[in-house]
Amino acid sequence: MFDLKKYRKKSPWILHYNAGSCNGCDIEILASLAPKYDLERFGVINTGNPKQSDIFLVTGPVTYRSRERLVELYTQMPEPKVVIAVGSCTCTGGVFRDMYNVEDGIDRYIPVDVYIAGCAVSPELIIDGVVKALEILEKKSKEMEKALKLFKEATSENGVINRRNVALKVGEVHEEN
Amino acid sequence: MIEILLILFAPIIGGFIYGFERVVRARMQNRQGPPLLQPFYDMFKLIDKQAFIVNPYHTILGIMHFITLWVVVAFIIMGQNLLYVIFLHLLSSIFLILAGFSVKSIYSHIGSNRELLAALAYEPILIMIAVGFFMVNGSFDIAVIREHDASIASLFLLFLAYLMVMPIKLKKSPFDATEAHQEIVGGVEIEFSGIFFEFLYMAKWLEYIFVYLLLMLFAGDNIFLGIGLFIGVFLLLNLIDNATARIKMKHLIKIVLSLGLTLGMCNLIGLAYV
Ligand code: SF4
Repeated sequence: MFDLKKYRKKSPWILHYNAGSCNGCDIEILASLAPKYDLERFGVINTGNPKQSDIFLVTGPVTYRSRERLVELYTQMPEPKVVIAVGSCTCTGGVFRDMYNVEDGIDRYIPVDVYIAGCAVSPELIIDGVVKALEILEKKSKEMEKALKLFKEATSENGVINRRNVALKVGEVHEEN
Repeated sequence: MIEILLILFAPIIGGFIYGFERVVRARMQNRQGPPLLQPFYDMFKLIDKQAFIVNPYHTILGIMHFITLWVVVAFIIMGQNLLYVIFLHLLSSIFLILAGFSVKSIYSHIGSNRELLAALAYEPILIMIAVGFFMVNGSFDIAVIREHDASIASLFLLFLAYLMVMPIKLKKSPFDATEAHQEIVGGVEIEFSGIFFEFLYMAKWLEYIFVYLLLMLFAGDNIFLGIGLFIGVFLLLNLIDNATARIKMKHLIKIVLSLGLTLGMCNLIGLAYV
């Protein structure tokens, strides 16, 4: 049979989001897209549009203000999708760990498929990570994608809906129910 | 027979041109670039993706845009009236603009606005080109224009004006403010996803066919000149695309309207009186 799944691997479109990083890793991501490392030879396009992308590249330790946007972007991406955490601070908090204004890593909020360590990560590692993510992307089936509860109810005051702090931590849902 | 085949395979040929262009652009930047079949890989992937429908009109208008463009290309290949072709092409742009306005996304609205403004800038030039062909060949019929000698010498100024229209239609810098990939995230295409985005993606390939077929009309019955024009302009456009930055919408309209209209008018007046 004509298998559409194998084409997923050949045209990964990337969405890049900065959840409060120091910009070190963002520069490395741009470097890996630029002529020297040329990620485009794998068919990668940096789309910037969540509705048309397959790979979610996140940098940064998730500041309090970026949580809702992170989850929003994740939910706006159509299945199948993979998430790559680029940089130590994105994986665990890194140099920002235990600071008062950040969460420790994006996996507190969204499921992550590939972790790339390094502060800052080198473009070679990013390319390795993307290639690894493509293997995962090919294996993903629609059944594997379980709906996750990522938001809690928005509060409303005087009829004005306040969507600040609606992002839900992984594990928080069990404590509430 | 060959016409029917050409019409049927028009999107695929356009896809090849697009893929080849990505390779050429990569080589100009001294990198390897994606494989030639990359646009088709993208297409197969998009079939398999989940699709979000924002509202039914939005998706239907997107598909209509693709179908009308295909009809436009078919009309050119069959040698129909040039004015029909240009107005039908305008209709296809209108479908896209309406689709952009039918959703709530602000980026989509900005994209539609810019698309409308761009249409304002290039449409008069396209019509003047049609008038120029009429004055040289005595007919609006593309079949008749194709039988006459190459008219690029007598329509040279209009040809230059058309060179300014091409980057707008193909979304190439310096005139790519309508799409503006990182700035307004693709403009009208932002809310399309999955298989519905694919129609827009293929419409982009058809746009290539449309633009280059119009270009080849300047060569008349001289096939070799036509192919030469195609290759020359293709390389020139990519070179300009790589070498320039995006300009603002305001400046786009000013440059294209003032320069293009002047060039076109000079050419038409020259044809009428000289
Ligand atoms: S991992 Fe290091 S270099 Fe990268 S964003 Fe975090 S702090 Fe900056």
